[in-house]
Amino acid sequence: MKRGTRLLYPAVLCGLFLFLLIAPFRLPLYGTHIFILIFIWSAVATAWSYMARFGVVSLGHGAVLGIGAYTTALLFNYYGVSPLIGMLIGGVLSVIYFAGIGYFCFRFGVIGHYFAVTTLVQVMMVYLLIIYFRDFSGGSLGLTVNSLGTNPLFFQFHSKTHFYFIALAFLLLTLYVWKKIHQSRIRRAMTAIDNDEAAAASIGIPIVKYKTMVTAISAFFTAIGGVIYAQYMMTLHPDVLSSVDASLGIAFKAILGGMYTLWGPFVGATLIIGLEEYFRVVHGATLIGWSVAAYGIVIIVLVIFFPKGLHGTLKEVLEKKRNE
Amino acid sequence: MSNLILNGLANGILYGGGLALLAVGMNLIFGVLNVIHLAYGQCVMVALYAVYVFAVLLHLPLLVSCVIAVGISALLALLIHVAVVNPLLKAPLINQLLALAGVMIVLENIILAVFGSDYLGIQISFPVFAIGDVYIKISSLIPFGVGIATLALLWLFLNRTYTGLAIRAIVQDRDMAELMGVQTGRVYWVTFAIGGILAGVVAACFAPIYTVHPHFGAGFTLTAFVIVVLGGLGNLLGGSIAAFLIGVISQVTGVVFTSEIGEILVYAIFIIFILFRPQGLLGARVRT
Repeated sequence: MKRGTRLLYPAVLCGLFLFLLIAPFRLPLYGTHIFILIFIWSAVATAWSYMARFGVVSLGHGAVLGIGAYTTALLFNYYGVSPLIGMLIGGVLSVIYFAGIGYFCFRFGVIGHYFAVTTLVQVMMVYLLIIYFRDFSGGSLGLTVNSLGTNPLFFQFHSKTHFYFIALAFLLLTLYVWKKIHQSRIRRAMTAIDNDEAAAASIGIPIVKYKTMVTAISAFFTAIGGVIYAQYMMTLHPDVLSSVDASLGIAFKAILGGMYTLWGPFVGATLIIGLEEYFRVVHGATLIGWSVAAYGIVIIVLVIFFPKGLHGTLKEVLEKKRNE
Repeated sequence: MSNLILNGLANGILYGGGLALLAVGMNLIFGVLNVIHLAYGQCVMVALYAVYVFAVLLHLPLLVSCVIAVGISALLALLIHVAVVNPLLKAPLINQLLALAGVMIVLENIILAVFGSDYLGIQISFPVFAIGDVYIKISSLIPFGVGIATLALLWLFLNRTYTGLAIRAIVQDRDMAELMGVQTGRVYWVTFAIGGILAGVVAACFAPIYTVHPHFGAGFTLTAFVIVVLGGLGNLLGGSIAAFLIGVISQVTGVVFTSEIGEILVYAIFIIFILFRPQGLLGARVRT
């Protein structure tokens, strides 16, 4: 039995790998599009879970997404800076902004649900700022990235296949970073802080430093995710990128799948995007409201009965069985 | 220019009446249950839609529709309490917040699915009168008047009834109140119902002023929370003062600059306060 499962795991992994490699060439364009969306949002949800899994729940990652994407797009549109460089600038700006807010919050003891609400408030500020500078940023009408056709130096590709592999690579990168954090000192420190902040501080763990560090890593990858999304869609809209709904969307994808496990955010993003697209295609736009409402109800039920999410709960059950 | 500011000031004070009502509901729920009601603005939004349905679609008199909307809002609050908040009372606070964010999404999208995303409003225009150079709309006098009256009623309720006494006892010390025989479970749902009624009254006041759309509520929730933090969590008097302050700030900056700058300023004040003065304006001690 044990040997069987040991062989099964690599076999499934190989099959999945082959499928992912061939998929963009075999699937219709629409299918590829869905995969790209799933990869990007899974990556962003994974980046969100870097901090959320240690109890530092942010409901404001939309702001980070928006700052990264808008910085890159505006630098390119107005100053011709390649998004490859703009992406780094946007990422660094997001880190400065979000880890800055995080630093002050952690420094002054704004934790738990106060931190969550504070992040929610700052997302409204970024959203309103984007709308206020409408002459520059396009405001609530959105912003279109100047098109150059396919130009790798400017991070623009005509075909979806390119973006498919970029998004996939990005997702794998965020998963790898998750693993790295998991194996590092950061995890042990953060777990201690999550369990009892005062006790952790009293044995000399620099709380503010570790929390800010995790926040910075999370913000950077979220911002990059925002840039990839914007370069793929070629259009930026504050409602999609930096609104309260966008922020909650990121959090919910991770919570649905399970924010404490490696694959949880991926499972959640796949389910939510899959369901949303299914309803949109099969039942048209009128049912979108109902489908989102339904997944809101699922989220509530999960938070009440399975706070570890779908993948987290499943994993727990399997592990319990194995131990018996 | 000074004329404009004067007008903004007057409107801000009037607007503050409605805001005070809004914040008091959230403040009560926070003080009694230690829950941040993230879907509070959405409850106001649903009540506004209720006013619209009864007043415009079913042609009932405005006052009757407002009363029905208050009832619906109270029922909705009870539903949220029984289905979402009550099962999570012992859960980590962050889970409560996430579940209520779920409620927020559910309410917004059900309304979106039923009514679409158009701006809807009751077509009523109230007269405007002038005192010197200051123009005052009757429609913004209503929230002010009703707000003050409701606050007075609430004060009477909290200070003159047994349930009010129980609520104040729980705000001060939950465990001790329980030991003294206060039935916390009952007080919890009564508080939530009061919160719902207040949300409904706010909606009734704002119905003649605002046109409503599904994403209308989020701003209300945040503004209410800003006021609650500014006034000191669980501190009703501070909350009312903060409401007028926020009303004036947002209206005056709205007149001088644009409404976006006004809102941004309000949120910035919130962040400064939660970082440097979390006990609020009046400095009441916050229990942890």
